[in-house]
Amino acid sequence: MASASTPKPADKSTNEPKHDQQAAQKSAAALEEDDEFEDFPVEDWPAEETEAAKGDGTTGHLWEESWDDADTTDDFSTQLRDELKKVDASKKR
Amino acid sequence: MAQSGLTVQFVTSIRDFLKNLDGDKLRSWLVVEPPVPDQYQNLAQELKQKHCHSASLDKLLEHYLPEEYDLPEDQGTAWPGFVTFMKDFLEYWRDVDFDDLLGAHQRLTALTNSCTTALNHPTHGTIMLQTSISLCASLSKLSMTLNKRPDLTKKLRALDAGEEDQKSVVENTAEVIQKIFTTCLTDRSSQRFAKPEGKKVGVYIFANVTLKLLFACRRTHLAKQLFTNITAKSPPLSLYPAAQRVTYLYYLGRFHFINNHFTRAAQCLQEAYIQTPPSFQKHRKQILTYLIPCNLLLGRLPSQALLQRPEAQPMAEIFTPFAQAIRTGNYLIFQHALESHEIWLFRKGLLLTLTFRLRPLLWRAFSRRTFLLTYVAPSDADSRKAATLELSHLVKTAQYIQKRLEGYVPAQPALKIRQPHINSMFLKAVSNSVGSGTGTDDSTLAPPPGGPKLLRPNEGLVWGNMPVTTEHVESVVASLIAQGLLHGFLAHSQGRFAIMGAKQKGSAVAAGWPSVVEVMERGEDKVPGWVKG
Repeated sequence: MASASTPKPADKSTNEPKHDQQAAQKSAAALEEDDEFEDFPVEDWPAEETEAAKGDGTTGHLWEESWDDADTTDDFSTQLRDELKKVDASKKR
Repeated sequence: MAQSGLTVQFVTSIRDFLKNLDGDKLRSWLVVEPPVPDQYQNLAQELKQKHCHSASLDKLLEHYLPEEYDLPEDQGTAWPGFVTFMKDFLEYWRDVDFDDLLGAHQRLTALTNSCTTALNHPTHGTIMLQTSISLCASLSKLSMTLNKRPDLTKKLRALDAGEEDQKSVVENTAEVIQKIFTTCLTDRSSQRFAKPEGKKVGVYIFANVTLKLLFACRRTHLAKQLFTNITAKSPPLSLYPAAQRVTYLYYLGRFHFINNHFTRAAQCLQEAYIQTPPSFQKHRKQILTYLIPCNLLLGRLPSQALLQRPEAQPMAEIFTPFAQAIRTGNYLIFQHALESHEIWLFRKGLLLTLTFRLRPLLWRAFSRRTFLLTYVAPSDADSRKAATLELSHLVKTAQYIQKRLEGYVPAQPALKIRQPHINSMFLKAVSNSVGSGTGTDDSTLAPPPGGPKLLRPNEGLVWGNMPVTTEHVESVVASLIAQGLLHGFLAHSQGRFAIMGAKQKGSAVAAGWPSVVEVMERGEDKVPGWVKG
């Protein structure tokens, strides 16, 4: 999980001021490294090395665009169905 | 006035580089940050001893770096802007103290400004391009270091106290470098759509450094001017090297994302992603951090193939529940996902966007689910009646979700089966006291033991603990219709959403709830800031 690998902001209430400052600096540095888009070590590379050159054959399967289903047997649907029934039943009483 | 010494040797060599039009050599000598060969320390020593006054440097430069005229075409010369820069450069080495980062930064900023003036010269300036690039790289690096040292910049703030609208070190640097960007962009060495030559070569290098700084100091709105200028004047991005293209598209994508232009953002980020070879894991990961949520907002969900890629770790775990919530309309998963990863999402600048901008997709899927659960097709196949979703049904399911968000506990069917003889009053009492059980007379839910959870505004279906009413649901449906996410109309007097075009589409649900991607991508094609040529 991401939060495990990235330091949390220092808890100011429990640390000594000096430690606090050091910790804040350290965590700021770590965050920055993680968040920054680094300079590439090389200036250029041939298109053949990239997926862009291979077209949709390699990238088309990375995303799903039709994902609607008609399945209503999952837990969530079952819970909603039960609730609708119970509300209906209570009205009929 | 013949002199000897390192300074003279140095300036004489620089004069030769100018003469030979050797911009690379010029760059390799005009360095501004350690580590440097010992000669630079010796040069600094000599400057301190012999040239502590600016008049003496003026004299030296006048003699050893003169402006020459009537030169053959393949030879260059110094010009006033360059001589000023050289003087600043020598003074920089004379005075700089790298232990005093703030002071060094101020000196380097001044030197970079001087470099910009030299670069600006219409005929001779181009020879300064490489030097400008390396100076900006040093200045940007130093600024980013200072950005992480609030203990130092605090002093600066104390000095400037009282000034309104105070700019940070990084923002100031971005401004300095943006000037060089403009110089490059307006250079006339080559036609707009031709292969870039002269200073035009530097357009995206300086754009990228500026963008990096603006994003670091969170002043991204200032990038608008840069993108507007690129759209108006820049050569096509495709004529520049791959690293520059990818970096630029990454920032342009993030800019559009911040401004809620998700279709544009997705195009930029997708292109940046597929143009980056798989060996650059870190870069691909950084791009995916924004490409995945951007596509989620457009109803394009990451496939297993993508989520299993190494660069998608560990974010796959974070985004998977969002995708599931978009599919099913399950607000419980959605709120839980937001809550569990709040810190990470906030740090990446994704929290607010995902919190509020995914809601229409959630409501869409949720209303669709309610329709699937409640709609009974007419027995007469030739019936001309439109398929409808009864809003009262949606109110009930929405109220159920709101209660669940408030901590109400779902019924445990097992309990019902095992204890069929216990009367309902007793069960109700039990469920109220222990917080689980069979719910109440009109709901499968039982109130939570400590009372309903107090929700923050964004944690409720409408607004915190505000109960969901028919009016709320009707306005949500009306808004979804207006956005095109539902296809049909509201029959207000009947309290129904009536679906249009079921026959043509083959089914009521396909007609009433068109594909999200199709709806989202209607009519957007050009991406401001991306010159395709």
